[in-house]
Amino acid sequence: MTQDNAETELMGKLRRATHQAPAEQIASELTSLGRAPVPALPAQELCEAFLINVLKNQGTINCAANRSEAVKAIASYLHERFHTRKLVAGNDPRLAAMPWRDGGVLPRFGAAEKDPALAPTSASLSYARLGVAETGSIVTFTGKSNPAANNLLVEDHIVLLDVADLVANLDDAWQTINSIQDEEGRPRGVNFISGPSSTADIDAQLVMGAHGPRAWHVILMGDIPDAAMANARGYIEKRLDAL
Amino acid sequence: MTAVEEELGSRAFKSNVRASLKETEKVKRRDMLGLFMPMIRDAAVKDFDGFEELRQHVKQIKQHSLDNLHHYLSQFVQEAQNNGNHVHFAQDSSEMNSIVLDICQQHDARRIIKGKSMVTEETHLLPHLEKAGMQVIETDLGEYIIQQAGETPSHIVGPALHKSVDEIRELFLQKHALGERELQGPAEMVAEARTVLREHFLKADVGIIGSNALIAESGYSMLVTNEGNGDLCANLPRVMIICTTMDRVVPRAKDAMSLLRLLVRSATGQPVTCYTSFYTGPRREGDTDGPIETHIVLLDNKRSDILASDYREMLQCIRCAACLNHCPIYIGVGGHAYGSVYMGPMGSVLTPLLTSLEESNALPNACTACGRCAEVCPASIPLPDLLRDLRHDETRAKLSPTRWRLGMKIHAWLLCHPWLYHKSTALGMPVLGWLGRKKGSFKSLLLANGWTDERDFPAPQGRTFMQQYQPDRDENNDAG
Amino acid sequence: MDIQAGNQHSNQATPRFQVALYVTCLVDLFRPSVAFDSIQLLEQAGCKVTVPNLQTCCGQPTYNTGDYESTIPLARQVIAAFEFADYVVVPSGSCAGMICHHYPKLLQDEWHDRALALAAKTFELTTFLADIAKIERAPGQVRQLPTVTYHDSCAGLRELGVKDQPRALLKDLCDLEVSELSQTEVCCGFGGTFCAKMPELSGKMVGDKLDSALATEATILAGGDMGCLMNIAGRAKRLGKVIEVRHIAELLADDLDGPAIGEGKS
Repeated sequence: MTQDNAETELMGKLRRATHQAPAEQIASELTSLGRAPVPALPAQELCEAFLINVLKNQGTINCAANRSEAVKAIASYLHERFHTRKLVAGNDPRLAAMPWRDGGVLPRFGAAEKDPALAPTSASLSYARLGVAETGSIVTFTGKSNPAANNLLVEDHIVLLDVADLVANLDDAWQTINSIQDEEGRPRGVNFISGPSSTADIDAQLVMGAHGPRAWHVILMGDIPDAAMANARGYIEKRLDAL
Repeated sequence: MTAVEEELGSRAFKSNVRASLKETEKVKRRDMLGLFMPMIRDAAVKDFDGFEELRQHVKQIKQHSLDNLHHYLSQFVQEAQNNGNHVHFAQDSSEMNSIVLDICQQHDARRIIKGKSMVTEETHLLPHLEKAGMQVIETDLGEYIIQQAGETPSHIVGPALHKSVDEIRELFLQKHALGERELQGPAEMVAEARTVLREHFLKADVGIIGSNALIAESGYSMLVTNEGNGDLCANLPRVMIICTTMDRVVPRAKDAMSLLRLLVRSATGQPVTCYTSFYTGPRREGDTDGPIETHIVLLDNKRSDILASDYREMLQCIRCAACLNHCPIYIGVGGHAYGSVYMGPMGSVLTPLLTSLEESNALPNACTACGRCAEVCPASIPLPDLLRDLRHDETRAKLSPTRWRLGMKIHAWLLCHPWLYHKSTALGMPVLGWLGRKKGSFKSLLLANGWTDERDFPAPQGRTFMQQYQPDRDENNDAG
Repeated sequence: MDIQAGNQHSNQATPRFQVALYVTCLVDLFRPSVAFDSIQLLEQAGCKVTVPNLQTCCGQPTYNTGDYESTIPLARQVIAAFEFADYVVVPSGSCAGMICHHYPKLLQDEWHDRALALAAKTFELTTFLADIAKIERAPGQVRQLPTVTYHDSCAGLRELGVKDQPRALLKDLCDLEVSELSQTEVCCGFGGTFCAKMPELSGKMVGDKLDSALATEATILAGGDMGCLMNIAGRAKRLGKVIEVRHIAELLADDLDGPAIGEGKS
């Protein structure tokens, strides 16, 4: 069956099996179904809620008041994890504009190593487009500013997020993404990342670093309430004690 | 069909069941899963106050989508094409396989990597590609394991959950020529799989993935994984092919979010998967990775028939496997016993609809109507009712064994004649009661082999209630 | 155990509820004492009980094997025999569920409406006693009961929400806390014709259920559905395990001297 025939055949069957309502009616029926309920946040304050969920997702966290602090945090992380100053960052102008010298970090602007004969890149840095408190997620758009390889082919994935780009839940996230798309057009891909790569396929036991990063480090930047990080850690400790 | 042929499909399932139950270690494993999976789902559901309300909402969204599938699918196709995707339609499995092979051959592809996709299991895509000389590697760890073992998935979310750590260790030691090593536990095995598969990711020509949702308003396809292998398949090779079915369409991104919130909690007990990704189309100028060509193959394979039938609600399924995890039959016999791509309650409905009742009527009969599946189904599919309706179809098509059908008819006839029924039971029960008075039960009883194979048959007390109550019996329609 | 004795416990001239008892085929044929106990309990709760004689079976066996056509006349028979009553009480979750949920699905037009009307006033026994009649005292002398564990039948649990009621009744009438068995929400493997169609799997399921019950070390396993109870008792007998299996009506009505399900007189 040719493609045209297959499409015609299928669409014909669907037309017969479904309502024949006009588009406006369909749209208004959809709107009348209302809003979906959204899970509650673990804390009232947005930063705290986000940090809690990042920790729950097996991520590690840092808070930085400004870009300089962020670069220092990155430097510290790289040193501790890999005894290096190097990392890979995408061609995001915001990344290029970071005060790298304040931390002595040496970024290579491009994509993570893809040659299987060479050692994989230790760490990459992404500048998230937004963060979602509900799920402890950061969102990147795949493209020149953030190659997919940088999210995936590295040992550690470090992510910067501005507090101003933090939203409460997934629905708010898409509202923001839709606004961005209205301005910038559709990106090649939208990625919600909510933890390091993991799997429980072997005996239902959770293991990090399946194919993607083994570790995921989120640096929240900007005006963050002082208690947010401490409270977030306290929340997690309480949960672990309760288990 | 001869009397012998009539039983063939059922006989295979029944002998599978018998064999499954004899594998003591596997039975113990499944029992553990049957305990553990419901616990984690339960915890996730309790953590989200609005879960039940969201279920109701998603049911309405799904039903609205199916009611208007022509509209939404058309919208999706239009948007997806605008985004630069090639969209293909496959009426059945062999068409999908041909389309995919065609695309691979057009690009001189030799090496193919795949994410987990039940649709590709359904069409038997892998053997088709391998026969044409392609190397196909499953990248989802569970799928990779069973591919190496030469097996089929035993679960639609965790394909290798039937395998013990030791079995997987033996498999890796055998299949990966990496010399002497310990491979102590899951962490080491995952690390090894990571290394082995990394090379495949980096050298592949084509990436094939499935889809969890197709978003009509934007033409995006959503894929969720914890491993990130879906994203690797979608971004590294120069060609990406999404194999999916039309019933995946939802109107808006926010509807996909609602679905996501139910899906992951129901499947793994998480609020969300590590990677929740949306693919728009091929690479842009300046991109350093991304496919140069992207394809979406929309498979029908009876979905349009199901849409027009009384079983339409089955198309609401989001493939979370909650019904499998809570089904005593699935947990009892395991996924392989079903002999089908789809198993558990959802598989017992879908398989007869995708194949035929003649072939698969054993499956809807493997059900006690306990209702646990419907209780946990995030898509609110009335599974026990659909299974019963399939048994109804089976009865009408005279596919069930004659002695059962006839027995039921006689039984029903007698019950519709209360006077005769009461008289005959008043004769029979006291005799049975007297015969069983000392031991209280029978080790064997005429016509009750199925029962007495596994348990004694409790004896009746003697005279029936209606027999005893006779002297004071009220007239019918006595309002007191 | 007869009605006359029951009437003596009836506490007033004008009964609060006019109840028609739906005996169920398994109680009728295998364990009539459960029906007599039910009547006693209902009368204690202030009901006048009648037993329509044109009752045989609710039609579950034919229905669940997919023979809707044979079930329809049975359903109509039940509706016609019982729709006169103010309340219909059933000592079985699955039979009550059949009447309440499945009759309206099965029947069309006028019979569908009559089925809905009947469904609205049909109750499983413990639900009626606990939630509607709000029984306060047991009919007889309450002896000290040994430990009891409880099996929640699937249909009662999921179709009718029967879970707290039997436990509340055991607490209020017998001063007893149920020793809960593990995985109480998992099917016992009876499933009507399932146990005959898939004996090995049904055997495994009832074996697991029996193990859960035995693990509580309770003396008595009680439940609200004869099918489930006969299934579990039969397995216990086959394996030589000692546990007394009884219908909850027997416990509430202090009818514990006769043999338990599957036990002989010796």
